[in-house]
Amino acid sequence: MSDTLNLTLKVWRQAGPDQPGEFRVYQLSDVSPDMSFLEMLDVLNEQLLAQGEEPVAFDHDCREGICGCCGLVINGQPHGPLRETTTCQLYMRHFKDGDTIVIEPWRAAAFPVVKDLIVDRTPLDRIIAAGGYVSVNTGQAPDGNAIPVPQEVAEKALDAAACIGCGACVAACKNASAMLFVSAKVSHLALLPQGHPERKKRVLSMVSQMDAEGFGACTNTYECEAACPEGVSITNIARLNREYFKALFA
Amino acid sequence: MNWLVQGLSSSVGKKFVMGVTGLLLCGFLAMHLAGNLLLYVGEETYNAYAHALHSQEWLIKIAEVVLLVLFVGHIALALVLTQENQAARPIDYATRQSKKDTPVLIITPDNWMFVSGVIVLLFLLLHLSEFAWNIWLTEAVKGKEPFEKARIILTDPLSTFVYIVGPAVLGFHLWHGFASAFQSLGLNHEKYTPLITWLGIIFAVLVAVGFASFPIWAWATMETL
Repeated sequence: MSDTLNLTLKVWRQAGPDQPGEFRVYQLSDVSPDMSFLEMLDVLNEQLLAQGEEPVAFDHDCREGICGCCGLVINGQPHGPLRETTTCQLYMRHFKDGDTIVIEPWRAAAFPVVKDLIVDRTPLDRIIAAGGYVSVNTGQAPDGNAIPVPQEVAEKALDAAACIGCGACVAACKNASAMLFVSAKVSHLALLPQGHPERKKRVLSMVSQMDAEGFGACTNTYECEAACPEGVSITNIARLNREYFKALFA
Repeated sequence: MNWLVQGLSSSVGKKFVMGVTGLLLCGFLAMHLAGNLLLYVGEETYNAYAHALHSQEWLIKIAEVVLLVLFVGHIALALVLTQENQAARPIDYATRQSKKDTPVLIITPDNWMFVSGVIVLLFLLLHLSEFAWNIWLTEAVKGKEPFEKARIILTDPLSTFVYIVGPAVLGFHLWHGFASAFQSLGLNHEKYTPLITWLGIIFAVLVAVGFASFPIWAWATMETL
């Protein structure tokens, strides 16, 4: 078992939203480098249960990097040290034997801690809801190629639509700004003809909801882009700004 | 007009105003630097320029009002945005690490805009108190022509230090500010954004080196007094 890892974990523990939180230190031995980060936490929780301690609460669902549920700040980096990788797709082979790993929840006024490493990300859902509906014609199913979309526009729209809403952009931003998330959602609909009828109303409502939720403003430091597991580009934020001014002035 | 006030009060709107005022102030800096560079052309040219400029009473008054509005707007929004941004993260991380590629400068300007802005403001106030309001060094520069006045002020030891550090910090502020303003205005495109980024860095260096060169010039030419 010489290639396994012995780790010191500093984990944020908080019993509830209104309870004070603190870091607790756990020792974990013989961690396989082939485990994912979440599997490593599963092993920690087995160990805690065996000791009669409350297991560490953390969010997860698909564990395939597509649902946007998992999200931990690992050693000060949202989703850990790798680019374009979610926490569930981060493997323990990227850590060294004897490492100390600091594990924290997303930190933002808009994301209150529910328990331990789980935060309430419903503000992102409310921003989506504020965006409203997309008009569609009812009746017969339309022909798949009835609306022509240039290939490069479709690519940009799909790149923006890749956002899984995990909130890493908020976690990485020094202002806890949700601008990259909102810009991705605004962009993928604004770029495509199907999103055009409600284009102006959508951007104004979503920005207004984003501000009401208490997220910060963008200072163009671009930490969000570097932390985004889907590689959503900050050019979307510029598009969000353009869409906003077009809706405001035009 | 309610729609405009509401629109510009949003987080996106405030950054828009921040960008517009910042870029207009950059325009002022470019003109100011161009005027000051006449110090290198010669005493007569610089004095003639200074007198011609100050004889335009109305122009000066309008320019002063516009600049005051730009500065107050830029600074007031900086205070509001900084306060809001800090409130958006009441509990900070125990440890933080950037996931960005290693930056060119070790201390990154984008994370120090408020601090650099405050230093630039202090520099501006000292600069105005000497050259415009004549609060400091009043006796020494009494009745002196603009060229001579500049040299006397710039060779004061404290002023020399301030007039080198001030422009350096201003350049540091512009290193991020210039290109960032375009992003806030929604102007980002793969064709011209790299150009804007480089222009911003060149402008920042020109402003820093240009303005900081004047106290050095003042000391270098003092022997010929």
